[in-house]
Amino acid sequence: MTDAPLTPHEADDALAAEYVLGVLDLTERAEAQARTKRDPGFAARVAEWEGRLAGLNDGFDPAPAPDLLPQIEARLFPKAPARKARFGLNFGWLSGALVAGVLALASITVLAPPRPELVATLATADNRLAYTVTHFGETLQVTRIAGVPAARGQVHELWIIAPDTAPVSLGLLEDKPLVVTYPTPPEGYVFAVTVEPEGGAPNGVATGPVILTAKVGGDA
Amino acid sequence: MDDPVAVLIAKCAAADRAAFRTLYRDTSAKLMGVLLRMLRERAEAEDALQEVYTRVWLRAGRYDPAKGRGMTWLIAIARNLAIDRLRARPEATSDDGLDLVQDSAPRAETRLVAQGEARRMADCFNTLEPDRADAVRGAYLNGLSYIELAARHAVPLNTMRTWLRRSLLRLKECLDA
Repeated sequence: MTDAPLTPHEADDALAAEYVLGVLDLTERAEAQARTKRDPGFAARVAEWEGRLAGLNDGFDPAPAPDLLPQIEARLFPKAPARKARFGLNFGWLSGALVAGVLALASITVLAPPRPELVATLATADNRLAYTVTHFGETLQVTRIAGVPAARGQVHELWIIAPDTAPVSLGLLEDKPLVVTYPTPPEGYVFAVTVEPEGGAPNGVATGPVILTAKVGGDA
Repeated sequence: MDDPVAVLIAKCAAADRAAFRTLYRDTSAKLMGVLLRMLRERAEAEDALQEVYTRVWLRAGRYDPAKGRGMTWLIAIARNLAIDRLRARPEATSDDGLDLVQDSAPRAETRLVAQGEARRMADCFNTLEPDRADAVRGAYLNGLSYIELAARHAVPLNTMRTWLRRSLLRLKECLDA
């Protein structure tokens, strides 16, 4: 092959291949990813490359995977009956904290998709610590808009609680926004933030104080 | 259909939770292998595995068996997530794991010689210069970025990019022939 410049057609194809390979840097990758959403021709090229390179998949050796189904199902199907026993927690945990007056307000706005939708705002009464929860497509993003992360050796952990079920951890709130795959949170679900030891609540069971809560679609 | 994974994905699209469990049981070891190799940290790989299967359930309706095998689709989701996470890591740490990167020598293609797809892949890789074939494999299997590949092969970034783009187009020519 010569060193002649690539034609626009070739350049597009090479970009799709680079995207599938994963060699692009963060910015280029984000641009290519956005393009797959708005340019069906480019998306088709990406799909073709995924198929083309699939012959390399045999190079991945299987590795023992722990049984993470309980956590995955708890996230996807919050009313699955098996979960309550497993987590051993219920609303008592939450209402106790509420009585203790540790926490503050819940405010909800529901906007039309497909824009990122503000699902909940978790904030203290004085707004010194606040997180927003937005949902877009299948992604939930939690961003700290006021305040600082937990003190050294501790971490803020986000939980979601379906009515009458145990809290399910969605992840740790650190410097970067938390981005987690999650279906649209239905009305009546509650988000809560607890303070946990570094690394998060052991065994997926909340141990620390509840510092923030907000109900989806609930009265603020 | 000779693709049991595709059947399970189609059932997931119809909200069949039992099929979802079977899918996890049958495919999680392979996807864990993908995530562990690319992310190189068990805790992160396990966290990513949860994300992957959450996505699989939510996106199952978009899987089109006419466009590829079920396992190919699952691995694409896992690789995509792993690469997103790798690229989001701070620059400083991106070289740290390089020593741990598994050698991506051609074992990948020789192992399944019996299968047509893999043999074709091996033949086409053989048309590339060995170091360039190695760069493509290293990127695909280990999630190496252009920056990492350039450092590994001791060439300037732009040279690596030109190499790789040419190699990919040549691969395509060969694979699609």
